[in-house]
Amino acid sequence: MQPGPEPQPAHAALATGAPPLLARTFLAMGTVVSLTVAFPPGAERGEAADRLEAASRVIEGDFEALEQRFSLYRDDSEASALARGVLRLAHASPEMRACYVEAVDWRRLTHGAFTAERPDGVLDLSGLVKGRAIAAAGRSLAALGLHDWCLNAGGDVLVSGTPSPSSAALASAPRGERPWLAGIADPADRRTLLGAYPLGGAPPSSDPSGSRRPATAGPRLALATSGSAERGDHIWAVGGGKPEFAQASVAGPDMVTADVLATAIVAGGRDMLNLAVAHWDVDVLAVTHDGELLATRGFRAPRAA
Amino acid sequence: MRARAAAAAALASVGILAAGWQAGTHVVEAASVTTGAAGTTGASGTTGASGASGTGASGSGPGTSGSTSGSAGSSSGSQGSASSGALKNGTFTGAAEETRFGEVQVQIVVAGGKVTDVKALHLTDAERRSAMISATAAPILRSEVLQAQSANVDTVSGATVTSGAYLTSLQAALDAARA
Repeated sequence: MQPGPEPQPAHAALATGAPPLLARTFLAMGTVVSLTVAFPPGAERGEAADRLEAASRVIEGDFEALEQRFSLYRDDSEASALARGVLRLAHASPEMRACYVEAVDWRRLTHGAFTAERPDGVLDLSGLVKGRAIAAAGRSLAALGLHDWCLNAGGDVLVSGTPSPSSAALASAPRGERPWLAGIADPADRRTLLGAYPLGGAPPSSDPSGSRRPATAGPRLALATSGSAERGDHIWAVGGGKPEFAQASVAGPDMVTADVLATAIVAGGRDMLNLAVAHWDVDVLAVTHDGELLATRGFRAPRAA
Repeated sequence: MRARAAAAAALASVGILAAGWQAGTHVVEAASVTTGAAGTTGASGTTGASGASGTGASGSGPGTSGSTSGSAGSSSGSQGSASSGALKNGTFTGAAEETRFGEVQVQIVVAGGKVTDVKALHLTDAERRSAMISATAAPILRSEVLQAQSANVDTVSGATVTSGAYLTSLQAALDAARA
């Protein structure tokens, strides 16, 4: 156990006013995973820290389980056995085959822009596995009874609820919840922000015009950014050329969709960008190598929308 | 541009309806209405002198996902023999087509074997139009992006950082402040 903060009396937390955001980090899949949990005002800090610590341990297990099976960096993983040819896909685990099927589906849906085969022919499901791990972690957090959290795994973000939950006594009241605000790193200088995107928050209020289905976009709970800024050429352009976009961010209803489409847009360029915004309920911000931006409305400032 | 997209859908429906009528059937089968979003190439919908041919819309580019199969179109005209190929006089209402951008339904008036009027009974409402806009990714200036100071954001999304690069990232600073 890492030493948590010293438990404090409840009245100390109450006095601080702003709801506490507590975070834990751990290493997984070659990057750092941050779990931030928002607690309502008045939450007892020691208890909150304990809950966070427990939740962090659980989702660390979710990541580890997937990494054990799918990591190509581990010689003893099932994925490595497949890559070496000592295991055939037909004899692989149901989990491996299910992931492969999903990858093939995504390749079809993205017209080949997303693919699970490296140029050298090795099956590489890592483009799907991190998104699946984040999604699995999100389900674990929900199962643990946590409502307001933000999970960031190496720059891919999944949220639930709000960073400013009301106290338990007010939970039944209408919640005017502010969304989690995610900054988008500038690919040219990742310590500066290109912009921001609101995730989660209160669901859209019902449409007063009485139309049969919500006219506004669906929920935006997941945000993924892909590019070659950090890990070099881990995305291969379709056709082998240099990718048109240095970076692509996709906000959508679920993690795997956002993650796959962000990867596909970097690989497939403008055609894939158009396909993505036409066929999925997502917002996209793409950055060309010249630093020019392409964005859907959700990424624009209100006055520019 | 929105108007063009709407017109594309409307013309497509007219074309389908007219073609269906000419064929002597009221059932519009597998009609595909494709609404092009803003910035698409728009429509080529023609209703010739006979009013019987409609080539429908071709919307390419973003927004082409909203294709739906048409159901039966109802008509208020009497049963036509359709032997001459000319359109029967009357007022005809196409099936309501649910597209990604809203419901589209058109009505045509035929007089003297020609389409004399086209009315849009249902077009996308204002909010649906805004959904159409959001379904395209357009070039924008940096100043037009929703801005936030690094001190104001709750988290940072970026291309995958290695665990080493994380140490100097904004996310690391945010996490440290919440430890």
